Amino acid sequence: MIKRNLIIALGFFVLFATLSFGVRADSHKINLVVGEWAEGPLTPWVAEFTAATGIEVDIQPFPFRELLATIEVRGNAKADDIDVIFVDAPLVPSYAVRGMISSMDPYFADTDTSNIFAQAGIDAASWNGAMYAPPLNNSGQLTYYNKDLLAKAGCAEPSLIESERITWEEVVECSKKITDSASGTWGMVFDQVNRYYQLQSLPESMGGGSGVCDGGLSVKGCLTNEGWMKAGQWYHDVFNTWAISPKGSSQGKTDQLFASGKVGIFVGGSWNEGTFTGAEINYGIALHPYFAEGKPVTGCNSWHMGVWNYSKHQDDAAKLVRYLTASPDVALSYVNEHGQLPAHHSAILYVAEHPKFNNFPKNVLKVATYESANHCSTRGRTPAFLEFEEIVNTSFEDIANGGDPASILQGAESRIESSMRRYQ
Amino acid sequence: MSTIFFRRQWIVPYLFLAPALLGTIVFKLYPIFLGFWESLIYTSFGGGIEKRTFVWFENYQYLFDDPLFWQSVKITSILTVIINPLQISISLGLALLLMRRTRYIRIIRSLYLLPIGIALPIATIIWGLMLDPYQGLINGFLGIFSIPPQPFLVSENQALWSIMAIATWKGVAFWMLFLLAGLEDIPTQFYEAAQIDGANPFQKFRYITLPLLRRTILFVFVADTAANFVLMVPMIILTKGGPMQSTNVLVFEAYRSGFYYQDWGRSLSIITILTVITLIVIGLQLLFLGESRSERKI
Repeated sequence: MIKRNLIIALGFFVLFATLSFGVRADSHKINLVVGEWAEGPLTPWVAEFTAATGIEVDIQPFPFRELLATIEVRGNAKADDIDVIFVDAPLVPSYAVRGMISSMDPYFADTDTSNIFAQAGIDAASWNGAMYAPPLNNSGQLTYYNKDLLAKAGCAEPSLIESERITWEEVVECSKKITDSASGTWGMVFDQVNRYYQLQSLPESMGGGSGVCDGGLSVKGCLTNEGWMKAGQWYHDVFNTWAISPKGSSQGKTDQLFASGKVGIFVGGSWNEGTFTGAEINYGIALHPYFAEGKPVTGCNSWHMGVWNYSKHQDDAAKLVRYLTASPDVALSYVNEHGQLPAHHSAILYVAEHPKFNNFPKNVLKVATYESANHCSTRGRTPAFLEFEEIVNTSFEDIANGGDPASILQGAESRIESSMRRYQ
Repeated sequence: MSTIFFRRQWIVPYLFLAPALLGTIVFKLYPIFLGFWESLIYTSFGGGIEKRTFVWFENYQYLFDDPLFWQSVKITSILTVIINPLQISISLGLALLLMRRTRYIRIIRSLYLLPIGIALPIATIIWGLMLDPYQGLINGFLGIFSIPPQPFLVSENQALWSIMAIATWKGVAFWMLFLLAGLEDIPTQFYEAAQIDGANPFQKFRYITLPLLRRTILFVFVADTAANFVLMVPMIILTKGGPMQSTNVLVFEAYRSGFYYQDWGRSLSIITILTVITLIVIGLQLLFLGESRSERKI
């Protein structure tokens, strides 16, 4: 009896082992690791790709922070169970230097990439002269304002005309009039509050640069220069001295606050338009603010796609990357259905020429494209971007929570400098 | 053959212990050793080439020169010294209250156990919403008593206390279960004898409950301490170690070094130090709270 049970158990074990290994050995699925926000937009195009090539693709979506952590953990393990990854533009050098993504040059050798992508996208996709991760889309920042709240406070509406671009000083003055803590109404909020992507424009507008020194291997003096110090103090005042923006908020909360009619001025991206158009608020759009003593600057660049260097299906993975990034149809779908700024020439031209983008609210894309094309501040180019961004984000949060900007930025500079020694 | 083998009786307990020992070695001791080994390695990417160098204790040296590490040690110490006695006192108090034989005691006990059923990340998110300085429920509640709105998680002075409150709310019911089981195990005859001798409630607690609950309390103390040394979910979800590093405990700094910065040498050095600190603290607890040899003979 015992003997028979043992034989049955062994039989099942062998069967399951065979099935498990069989699935793995026969599988030609490409594993595509993406941000969760891109799963919906990409799914139909991935299906088209499979129909055209016969290569099956498994989409694995992750939230932003988990996406970065997953890539790091899998990269550290040199895992071969993923094939294509989403790459945040400033992380291209980091992934390239650490050998986590493959050069895409051989897979675009038959074409001139400058005929496909905007030059800014190619620059962001490249490191040391090789293109590693072609751009999927681009981004640009602009101002949204609540017409009713501004009118009630007696503020002039910000403009879409370059010569009448609103200044941060005007934003603050108007926000002071709008803010009413009793009714929970705030003067202004940022979309990506405490995040380097959006806030880099503040020190850049003050002439402080990206925070990363030339060469990308040091921040000494670049994160504590006059521009960064002034921007840090201004950011501190917004949340503390003037108290015109709520502390402790985060991306995903601030747009809802604006959509609920409780915020006068919202500085965000083209993607926020969908949220606001669906809400019952009377809003308008304008160019991104700048400091009167400085120059107009906005955040830009967005998500790219790269072939995982440890993938066993590099050729198939590269086909998928090329299909999703270089196909005009995918780029147009990203613009029309998801309100994302394009990095593809044909889609950029489409936004520039199609009449629907001349009218509110779809002109958001045209305004953001203008800002991105003319006032883009590329994020600091460094192989230590992960460390840099995390420490700068934390520093902005500490400043917003009332910390002393000068000592916080000095501490951040010292910590980042220490982190960068690994890349020197 | 097998009969002769099992006649060597000294081997039998080891055979029974073997599966557990094997699990401990594979899943506990080996990772600890591996972590320590990796903490002696420095990974650099100079010139675009990944290079792993055995650097002995250089990672530890960098750590000891880093003010951020010492800030984490300070925060971890404050958390440990306050949260463990706090949680155990409240757990014991609740357990004693729930030992009372009242009509609806089973329902009341179930209500107190509710926090155990909520996953810590979900509980943390809910508490984060309730502690929002502007729209949070807690400030609304405080407003009833004319107490001005508090910043809670965005304040350098209140964030750690807020996290302690969240962890305590989540943890006390769990630890209370063990203490409740320990209390149920104490024979009622002791209390009846004490009652006849005229002992008051405090004397019963001091001379009957506490001594007979000592083993349970020791277990809860050790387990709670170990759990709180690795408490970082509220930090990950709510504060990211801030504001101003005021909630940056050692385990979060290790997590951040490893998973955010990919500096595994630094991360594993911190984890090794944390393991040593945990062992020392638990050793001291066993030394001072454990039964003496003479007590064990009784």
